[in-house]
Amino acid sequence: MNSALLLLHMLVGVFLLGAITHQLVASIPRRAARNGTFIDRYTSVNRTTFTAVVAGLYVAGVVLGAMIYPKYRLDVRVPFEDLGLAWAVGLFEVKEHFAGIGLALLPLYVWLWRPERLQSHRRDRIAVTAILGLIVWNDFLVGHILNNIRGFG
Amino acid sequence: MRLRFSPTVFAVAFSLVYAVVFAFDRPLFRYYPLHGDFNWGNAVIKDAGPAMSWYGFMADSAIVALIAAVLIPDALADRVLRNKVWLIPGAAMLLVVYLLRQFFVGRALG
Repeated sequence: MNSALLLLHMLVGVFLLGAITHQLVASIPRRAARNGTFIDRYTSVNRTTFTAVVAGLYVAGVVLGAMIYPKYRLDVRVPFEDLGLAWAVGLFEVKEHFAGIGLALLPLYVWLWRPERLQSHRRDRIAVTAILGLIVWNDFLVGHILNNIRGFG
Repeated sequence: MRLRFSPTVFAVAFSLVYAVVFAFDRPLFRYYPLHGDFNWGNAVIKDAGPAMSWYGFMADSAIVALIAAVLIPDALADRVLRNKVWLIPGAAMLLVVYLLRQFFVGRALG
């Protein structure tokens, strides 16, 4: 059961990684004229449509992570400690705390992406989206690294 | 009466409270997954197995942030923090990494 939840947690992470990266990259202003390159096509999406998907996937990822966290605490972290892998324990600590702060940013993130605030709150919107992107990338890579060291089995 | 919720205040209050309760190790409760026990406050139960504080930090922060987000008007927060609000969760994240530095540069275990 825990392995299935871990797999689902990872798949949610993959979709979330794609969605928030796409939205963030498309939000960065570009000066160059659009000439149909891959980057032009990649960035010419309706950025606001990603918001609900990102928020939903983020919540799903945190809920799934919270469900499998006790299993990690008992069956993964304890062996890490026995092996003296302090850095691995530390990476997970950063991951969990970042995920928690990111969860609290979601209402603000959704609020900032409302059409009426696209001009007035531009810096906050890009910065909060970038922070969420950083959290998602960090947490995905850390989860992958830790699972490579010792998965649930 | 209609309750108004300020996403700006919620994000700011949550980030600040989270950084403080984490820095001072003050979770609302701890969970002991070995036997499924909960314990209020930050006291550690001996012989209960490994403790988990994250749920308690989240509960602390969510409760305070929810109250603040309902009580403090969004217009006020927006006027003070517009286009600067991201600095507070960003600073909270940097503080968390700083507080966890012993895992990467020292001997945090055993």
